[in-house]
Amino acid sequence: MKPAPFRYHRPRSLGEALALLAEHGPQAKLIAGGQSLGPLMNMRLAQPAELVDLNSLPGLDFVNEKEDAIEIGALATHHAVASSPLVRSRCPLLAEAAQSIGHYAIRTRGTLGGSLAHADPAAQLPLVAATLGAEIAAAGPRGERRIPAAGFFVSLMSTVLEPDEIIVSLRVPMAAPGERHAYQQFSRRRGDFAIVAVATTLLMDKKGNAKNLRLGIGGAEDKPVVLAEFKSLDPDAVARAAREAVNPAENPRVPAVYRRELVEVLARRALLKAMGK
Amino acid sequence: MSEFELTVNGSCYAVRAEPRKLLSDVLREDCRLTGTHVGCEHGVCGACTVLVDDRPARACLVYAVQMQGRSITTIEAVAAGGRPSRLQQALHEAHGLQCGFCTPGIVMTFEAYLKENPRPSEEEVREVLSGNLCRCTGYQNIVAAILKAADAKA
Amino acid sequence: MPKPRFRHIGAPLARKEDLRLLTGHGRYVDDIEIPGALHAHFVRSPHPHARIRSIATDSARKSPGVVAVYTGAELAQWTTPLRMAPPIEGLHPVEMATLPVDKVRFHGDPVACVIAASRYLAEDAAELVEVDYEPLAAVADLAQALAADAPLVDESLPSNLVSVQKFSTGDIAARRREAHRVVACAFHQQRQTHLPIETRGCAAVWDEGREHLTLHIGSQVPHPLRTQLAARLRLSESQVTISSLDVGGGFGQKIALYREELVVAAASRELKRPVRWREDRMENLLASSHAREDSCRTRAAVTKEGRLLGLELEILEDFGAYCFYPANYLARVVAMILTGPYKVRDYAFEVKVALTNKCGNGPMRAPMAITSWVMEGTMDAIARELGLDPLEVRRRNMVEAGDMPYTMPTGEVIADITPRETLEAAVKAIDYAGWRARQAAARREGRHLGLGLCSVVESTTYGSRFYKAAGIPGSGHEAAWLRIEPSGAVNAAVGLGATGQGYETAFAQVVADGLGVDPSSVRLQLGNTDVAPYGMGSRGARGGTAGGTALFLCARDANEKVLAIAARMLGFDSAEGLHLADGKVERDILGERVDTGITLAQLARTAYLDPTALPAGMAPGLDFSKTYDPPPMTYSNAAHACEVEVDVETGALRILRYLVAEDCGTVLNPLVVEGQQHGAIAMGLSGALLEHMRYDEHAQNITGSLADYLVATATDLPSFEVIAMHTPSRANPVGTKGMAEGGVMGAIGAIMNAVNDALAPFGVVAERQPLSPDYLRSLVRRR
Repeated sequence: MKPAPFRYHRPRSLGEALALLAEHGPQAKLIAGGQSLGPLMNMRLAQPAELVDLNSLPGLDFVNEKEDAIEIGALATHHAVASSPLVRSRCPLLAEAAQSIGHYAIRTRGTLGGSLAHADPAAQLPLVAATLGAEIAAAGPRGERRIPAAGFFVSLMSTVLEPDEIIVSLRVPMAAPGERHAYQQFSRRRGDFAIVAVATTLLMDKKGNAKNLRLGIGGAEDKPVVLAEFKSLDPDAVARAAREAVNPAENPRVPAVYRRELVEVLARRALLKAMGK
Repeated sequence: MSEFELTVNGSCYAVRAEPRKLLSDVLREDCRLTGTHVGCEHGVCGACTVLVDDRPARACLVYAVQMQGRSITTIEAVAAGGRPSRLQQALHEAHGLQCGFCTPGIVMTFEAYLKENPRPSEEEVREVLSGNLCRCTGYQNIVAAILKAADAKA
Repeated sequence: MPKPRFRHIGAPLARKEDLRLLTGHGRYVDDIEIPGALHAHFVRSPHPHARIRSIATDSARKSPGVVAVYTGAELAQWTTPLRMAPPIEGLHPVEMATLPVDKVRFHGDPVACVIAASRYLAEDAAELVEVDYEPLAAVADLAQALAADAPLVDESLPSNLVSVQKFSTGDIAARRREAHRVVACAFHQQRQTHLPIETRGCAAVWDEGREHLTLHIGSQVPHPLRTQLAARLRLSESQVTISSLDVGGGFGQKIALYREELVVAAASRELKRPVRWREDRMENLLASSHAREDSCRTRAAVTKEGRLLGLELEILEDFGAYCFYPANYLARVVAMILTGPYKVRDYAFEVKVALTNKCGNGPMRAPMAITSWVMEGTMDAIARELGLDPLEVRRRNMVEAGDMPYTMPTGEVIADITPRETLEAAVKAIDYAGWRARQAAARREGRHLGLGLCSVVESTTYGSRFYKAAGIPGSGHEAAWLRIEPSGAVNAAVGLGATGQGYETAFAQVVADGLGVDPSSVRLQLGNTDVAPYGMGSRGARGGTAGGTALFLCARDANEKVLAIAARMLGFDSAEGLHLADGKVERDILGERVDTGITLAQLARTAYLDPTALPAGMAPGLDFSKTYDPPPMTYSNAAHACEVEVDVETGALRILRYLVAEDCGTVLNPLVVEGQQHGAIAMGLSGALLEHMRYDEHAQNITGSLADYLVATATDLPSFEVIAMHTPSRANPVGTKGMAEGGVMGAIGAIMNAVNDALAPFGVVAERQPLSPDYLRSLVRRR
């Protein structure tokens, strides 16, 4: 299990990195933390001819407050996101989800940008970004553009990112005053990819009923599914609606019927937890 | 072939290797530091965990060429002056290792973690330890040793 | 408390091995520097079953850094095939080439070996080896294997059924007729693999001048490995040295001589250059050795009170494509010891083993792992069907102290074990009496708790007479060697192969007591066949009893000679009343032990450097060897108890509490024994909950990474409570009974019984492993 040969590039600026992508086209692959690409390359399932290492790009590992949002650089590690006081206090759903990624030594290397670009349908950050209505900023030869996370993920390991673009940051709205959240994940073991994960945010009205509910579901389809329109906000009804809304593929390891059941159970539990019940 | 310098355990190594050569292999073959063990080469087992700028990293998911300008710490540097660290001593006393193959990765993970969280709960220790596979011990004595080492640090 | 029999045996000494392993200074195979060593990499079949039409290696040979590319054709000239043909009725003889020439039999079967300057270059070249395959229909499971028109995995056999054994004693039909009920149960254990964290690997160094091969390898059985390797290379055993220093876990995977290792050794001899190979994890999962995959059925004829009248067992095992062991070897033991701690006279079994297009099976920590689940699952089923308390059913059938020695219906004899005592201790510790109330209270809150019991009688140490009776060639003996050097330093060796069991410490304690020195002054020299005597190595749980006893007896011989010299130096006619303690000679005077001032160092100096001062007729030197063949079988026992909670909405399973009461006889080192208990229970639970080596319906392996093959991590397991109830065996002078596999057996049974207790309100029974959440959901959902 040794990677195939490649040429190694270590750009010192975003411009240099973009130029390398422009020059080498599909032959080039970006690497940041390498926690997903590394295994694929060691197994020779990925054999890029040119490896462009982003780790020397300056100023992309920040976590900043910007107006009513938090901006996080693409090279911020999951560990940095999960332990950032700013994220923990103003966007606790993101902190909680980041803390549940893989294992300690994965979180200290794996990066936000890498996880979004890799677009594993069961991954935490794509789910939370989509649920929270975050925006992904990508730099390219045509300048920088902002892509709503909800439209960023196309299917299994595929995004709207062009081959000559690089994710530079994520902008996540801060939790509204009084906003509640919950993150529920079901995996075989701690640190495994979720079979199903559910992220939710909501507000409570004076009578103790939920309102402004957003419910994101990961792992059920080939990209995160976000639901915001519900006929009823009763937890059981929401859970049933979530179950009806997804259409998981059959898989030799996890039957579709089981995934659907998990969506319903986790959605109900997430809602009850967020509502403090 | 690339030629570059690596800083490992405070010493500088001049390395000549293909860019694709994994840090785990360069440490073992070029630096002759064989305490970093290779167990899966896809980032799951944790046996090859080393510290990069004091943070744990799987050496099998890093190319050595990426590590220029970084400071790498391996198991060989943990027992300062030949004296085992508190954690190493606790693992010895609590019988926290059997075949010992996974042990260096566990030691490196927790040398870093206990600096960040000097008084972890058992639950926190188990959560962090879940990134290192051990096939011999059932983890119980490893957990006990880590808690003991944390206690001794406080 | 009775006075301890031993001074050092039984002391919780922290291990001598630890310091080097903790500081990164262990010497596992890959850590041994061999200048100029080449790296081997194997080309493996992507097909589960295919004819090899041709193999083109030209472009691979021209790839940078490549020294050679070998295929089955070359290896057939340099080595002999493995013939497995023990005289066992119902077992077909089979033969295996060093590398397949005509066809591949499983996904991962090695077909060529690339040898290059580095592993990276070898893997590059391997991509250029072109194998022209003609895919054949494959056998993916037992049903396909036994189908009338099944493709033949091994074309030399009449069918895929490679082994069938039947046994019956008493009159099962009569027992069934007179029974109140015949309770039928099924048990399916999935395919697993050992997964040592250090994969297989070796480094072969051929010395052309001396015509000698040294194979560095992690091995559980250095001497039997040398015998095989020498024979298959057509070398004499004096031309081969096996050296096995530190080994990163074995669990049964490092016993056989595998084809890859033989190829590497042959290549080194052929190239006259050192060659090394480290299996990668994908290869380890696909193609090292698999284990288990048994389906068992029992039928128990019982009285209204739940007393066992007769028992029948059928086992069907999926053995994979190749036989590195006699195919009936693992399943037969299950059948032999099934009844374990229970009294029954009328018993019948049928053991069938079939070949499939999967990686070959081998023994994995507790090859008979399923035994206790099958027996204890049957006991629970009896209780369930008769509306009795499962503990009461066990009590009514259990062998008690007064019944022993008790002969099982298969002729196996249990003696000096304490199944009833450990069971009672376990149920007391887990508050069995209060359990139903706790369970009912939890159910009222919508929580589904379950309690499972599992008694284990563990066959630990197989003597030569057991093997003879089973038709398996070979011995159950172990060998020890001890040399007191002229300085008084003590070197000792045994034929076992250490893979983490703390031999260097526990056996130093054994030698210390046998000889009369401090354990710190004893150094074990393990794993080198030029140094260690010819023993059968580490397998089963034989180390403590076979190896420990051999060392103890050897050390006693040394003690006798040393004291004879001391007597002569003191001017006595005999050594009576003299003792060696911590390396000093003491003498009994009026019931007290008094130091004579003579030390072991002085005695050693005399033995080597002043032989004329020795007693008349005594030969110089202090060099001792001893072999020991244990009784046909040694048993230890335990009772496991486990509490679980099943989240019936998600199928998640959580272990709330786990305890074991165990009697393994004299404990050499309690730290080591507890560590083995933890490890064995963990392996059993990991297998029951998570591990699953999967093939798809076309026999394609779909478990090629550790993201697919799941083993328990620190968050999956609880802390285990251990109740030590050790009583010495009378069958050997130290009193050990052996242990380290029973934990696997007990864990599998305890957790299955606990889950079924939790699921009882749903009227369903989990019959298969792993207990994955979707499987548990499927049981609950079906209702």
